[in-house]
Amino acid sequence: MAWKKPIVREIECGMEINMYGP
Amino acid sequence: MIGADDIPVIPRGVRMQFDRVRERWVLLAPERTVALDEIGVAILSEIDGQRSFGQITEGLAAKYAAPPEEIAADSRGFLGALIDRRFLEVRQ
Repeated sequence: MAWKKPIVREIECGMEINMYGP
Repeated sequence: MIGADDIPVIPRGVRMQFDRVRERWVLLAPERTVALDEIGVAILSEIDGQRSFGQITEGLAAKYAAPPEEIAADSRGFLGALIDRRFLEVRQ
């Protein structure tokens, strides 16, 4: 697995909101 | 901002779990959830409450063929976002 910028998404009320990363 | 000597700690009540329905890892906290990608899982898997951020990024740099400063910058931003939302704590 190659390194890449990690992605974090907050799951709220069925929606996903980007917290960090592309 | 998390420093090289800071020790990241996953607080009581927060845990990683594999979501079998969506086939991905999530970080669960009371009444809150975040979805992780494979790199996020790799970073969080290195957190043992003992090793410093600097030691963790050194370990990741040994595993991945990427510049250590890139790994440190990406990991710092990632963990900082989790600290801001109280999914992670830091001991100094």
